[in-house]
Amino acid sequence: MLSGGCMPFSREPPLPRPLEQDRSSADPDADPFEALVHAVAQDRDRNAFAALFRHFAPKILNYCLKLGADRGMAEELVQDVMLAVWLKAGSFDPAQATVGTWVFTIARNRRIDRLRKEMRPAPDPDDPAMTPASLATPEEAAQLVQSSRQLQDAIGSLAANQSEVLRRSYFLEQTHEEIAEDTELPLGTVKTRLRLALGHLKRSMRDKA
Amino acid sequence: MTLPLHHPDDRHLFGYASGQERAGKSLLVATHLAYCPDCRRRVASFEALCGNWFEELPCPDHDGLDGLLDRMDGLLAGSPMPAEVARPRQAAATGERLVPEPLRGWLPEAIDTPTDDGRWQEISKGVWLSGWERTLSGTTIRLLRMASDAPVPAHRHTADELLLVLRGAFSDEYGSYSVGDVAHYVAATDHHARGASEEDCICLFLLDGDLIFLDEDGNSL
Ligand SMILES: [Zn+2]
Repeated sequence: MLSGGCMPFSREPPLPRPLEQDRSSADPDADPFEALVHAVAQDRDRNAFAALFRHFAPKILNYCLKLGADRGMAEELVQDVMLAVWLKAGSFDPAQATVGTWVFTIARNRRIDRLRKEMRPAPDPDDPAMTPASLATPEEAAQLVQSSRQLQDAIGSLAANQSEVLRRSYFLEQTHEEIAEDTELPLGTVKTRLRLALGHLKRSMRDKA
Repeated sequence: MTLPLHHPDDRHLFGYASGQERAGKSLLVATHLAYCPDCRRRVASFEALCGNWFEELPCPDHDGLDGLLDRMDGLLAGSPMPAEVARPRQAAATGERLVPEPLRGWLPEAIDTPTDDGRWQEISKGVWLSGWERTLSGTTIRLLRMASDAPVPAHRHTADELLLVLRGAFSDEYGSYSVGDVAHYVAATDHHARGASEEDCICLFLLDGDLIFLDEDGNSL
């Protein structure tokens, strides 16, 4: 429930996968890693696992190094995350996320646990007190679908330089000062771009009653 | 079923999705997510964006990773697939709404019954703070309880204050908040919350800095 969880909302009714509108779900080539995860889950296929490892291990290593792990810790985290991929392959749900996003969420949770030494509180999809989307009124349900689509449009239409400050600030956890130094931009420009980026996303928020 | 109308800022939702948000505020965000299908989708979209950034990370040659794969051999062999545990999907709670996870596991037992044991400290007539208190990643976490129409006394805070309604409703000059709604007050803003439901309103109350209650003349108590 705390740090180990991933795909916390996998019991939601299926909806268009974020950022993947172009791909037809009938296209078997849509995400080549889905078949590998499936082979790991069904057949405990070591070759499929090795292929996943060769693709994702360098990314996990790089991610952990960028977030402050030393080489030894980063390698331990690679092992942790890939072991979780081996163990949890059966719970991967391609309707909810790509394999890349799924592996990212595992890596995120493991490094919060190991590097930051914090828990990560998360909802429990089996909790009877959780409000399921199916309890929405028809109007609310329509709004949910619309706001989800609007957000994906907003993400897709983010200016490249605004997306880049979001990436540095949220994904790489850089301070405004670090971003300014790395990108050789004035601090004020960094702050402006972040504000514009969040404003762009906010315009896609569901209208408040 | 009315879904929440007041959501956490994207800064918190994005930070929760990327892992940048710290544990204290993540507890409030995650509990709001349990109430709010809209924000769950929003977080999933932000996770997908982070997933894309993760996929785009440059991968220079990393010597030694093949060795790591070889060393995992034994681990894999020793880690059989866990059996699928089919947990019964319970019907959504009816009637009295239970506080959802992850918060429920944190609260003192029986905190959300009418006669609970939150060891409430009355700070003014009809307004209580819980004696129960936790600190997570520098954020102080307590419960705030307001009787119907009881105003929270004037106070000053040096950093962000966040409220998540768990029971009943309250209102301030910006709107009214019921179960699942989040109110976010930045430092040094004036706001006047008061209970707005027949039953006492109970909120999760998060504070980053110090909280100073003021007397009628605006002096610290
Ligand atoms: Zn929400």
